Amino acid sequence: MRTLNQRIRTVFLVFVFFCAFFLFGIPSSAADLPRLVDQADLLTDSEESALSDRLDEISERHQFDVVVVTVDSLEGETAVVYADDFYDYNGYGFGDERDGILLLISMEERDWCISTTGYGITAFTDAGQAYISERFVTDLSVGDYAAAFTNFAVLCDAFITQADTGEPYDIDHLPQEPFDLVWNLAVALIIAFVISLIVTGIMRGQLKTVHSQSEADNYIKQGSMHLTRKNDLYLYRHVDRRKKAENNSSTRSGNPGGSQTHKSSSGTTHGGSSGKF
Amino acid sequence: MAAIQEYKCPCCGGAIAFDSTIQKMKCPYCDTEFKMETLAGYDSELRNDQADDMRWEMASGEAWQADELGGINAYVCQSCGGEIACDENTAATACPFCGNPVVLMGQFSGELRPDFVIPFKIDKRAAKEALRKHYEGKRLLPKVFKDQNHINEIKGVYVPFWLFDTAADVQMRYKATKVRTWSDSKYDYTETKFYAVGRGGKLRFEHVPVDGSAKMPDDLMESIEPFDFSEVVDFQTAYLAGYLADKYDVDAERSVERANERIRRSAEDAFSETVKGYTTVTKETGSIQLQNGKVSYALFPVWLLSTTWNGQNYLFAMNGQTGRMVGDLPLDKAAYKKWLFGLTGILGMALFAVSYLFWLL
Repeated sequence: MRTLNQRIRTVFLVFVFFCAFFLFGIPSSAADLPRLVDQADLLTDSEESALSDRLDEISERHQFDVVVVTVDSLEGETAVVYADDFYDYNGYGFGDERDGILLLISMEERDWCISTTGYGITAFTDAGQAYISERFVTDLSVGDYAAAFTNFAVLCDAFITQADTGEPYDIDHLPQEPFDLVWNLAVALIIAFVISLIVTGIMRGQLKTVHSQSEADNYIKQGSMHLTRKNDLYLYRHVDRRKKAENNSSTRSGNPGGSQTHKSSSGTTHGGSSGKF
Repeated sequence: MAAIQEYKCPCCGGAIAFDSTIQKMKCPYCDTEFKMETLAGYDSELRNDQADDMRWEMASGEAWQADELGGINAYVCQSCGGEIACDENTAATACPFCGNPVVLMGQFSGELRPDFVIPFKIDKRAAKEALRKHYEGKRLLPKVFKDQNHINEIKGVYVPFWLFDTAADVQMRYKATKVRTWSDSKYDYTETKFYAVGRGGKLRFEHVPVDGSAKMPDDLMESIEPFDFSEVVDFQTAYLAGYLADKYDVDAERSVERANERIRRSAEDAFSETVKGYTTVTKETGSIQLQNGKVSYALFPVWLLSTTWNGQNYLFAMNGQTGRMVGDLPLDKAAYKKWLFGLTGILGMALFAVSYLFWLL
């Protein structure tokens, strides 16, 4: 009977544990909306479900909301304000700091905007966001929204993973570009061809030994040269004055990296960047 | 107040006038200012300009003596028309220029007897050895060319040269600049100072050779220069024994141009080298006056080998005094392609590997 009692107790404990887990555990992101909000209807149904699954998977794995929102109009707001408010008032974000990142696309003025919150401000520095945006804006411009958003999601995954090591991607160390096989091979071959042309050119040159002599230096009688006139007359001078170029490099090298932040209407601190596509 | 003499602006060439307010000469076109002395000096510099005088005395050589020509046979080539001579004990069978058979023409005749001759110093064996060395280390030379044995056909030929001796009086004028740069907090400055530089003097040239044979390519003969004139001897027919001799068919008058060209270049270079300390030096004018120009006629020793390969004639020449060997060789196109693309492949892979290593770091 003891064993039966013990077994019941074990089952009960497991049940309590699971209840607690589902009440207070993983879904601490109390968002009202899904992580993909395609109001502008830019994606097909299959693209939508695939992207949605990906965003959910990444978000749950990192305990960090990765959100993509498309809208037709910013309703008179700036992209930054709209994105921050969308994030704040729809309850995105994990934990007390409401960790997450949101990418907003507005079709009216073709705006894109990234808003980062909490741990997102640490993981996605200004330089990091610039790096990410460079890699999805072209796809947005040509209208390949699915590819742009997938790219964004994949990069977010990589950035959060890197930030978890304690050293987020920043101005002085951005993700390494993939090795461009074709480009490197082409450049190597072109350089090699030029060097080979020079080397074989020298070898060809060895075959040719007949050259005209343009001078008669060998036949100048030694010591026969007498300089009888030597005038160096100063005539006039020109002075050219050119304004120095403005030096921007000092401000650039002074950029310490990291993220610049601002407060949204709800008082939450956000990082972010925006642009047109 | 206008200047009595009209001067030209050294900067732009416009007529220049005295500006009484600044008490200087000022160009109304380009606004450059000059001191009066500067312009006077520049003007006297310009007056040094003269036309060239590169004339020569053409009284060279003397006529043959009656008994001298008796011992010399003349041959003419059936193919290229080349005319060669050798003493009666030497039989010439093939033309040294094109390799075709020659026929005996009879008694040698010529307008002029050479003044000088430099005897052969290097024998046939050494000449063959030099030719073998000439083939060596040349990877793009067709193998067949190396292996085919033409070396026995090498011939010693006395080639006629005109020798030009002269003293050159050279007057040169240059425009030179000195450039200085400095900066303050707002501007970068570049100051260019312009100078008129004059140089004049004398220079002596001795025995500038010009090949007097039309069949001998000029560039081939210039390539085996220089000949050492200190070993020259007065011409004797005895030196022809065992060798062929070519008769001049380009006379001194026509060779003068080539000699003048070379003398002018050397003279100008020699004086340009004395213009020092400037950022840029541009020659404005230069004139050369030749004095006591004298021409003499000499025979110089040359080992010649004419080879026909793939329908093309290759002529090699060696200085019979110094041993300097020249002659363009044919190119093995297949070998060239192999080297070019082989090297490209190997180097390309190496560079590609290096670029990958750099990417990994």
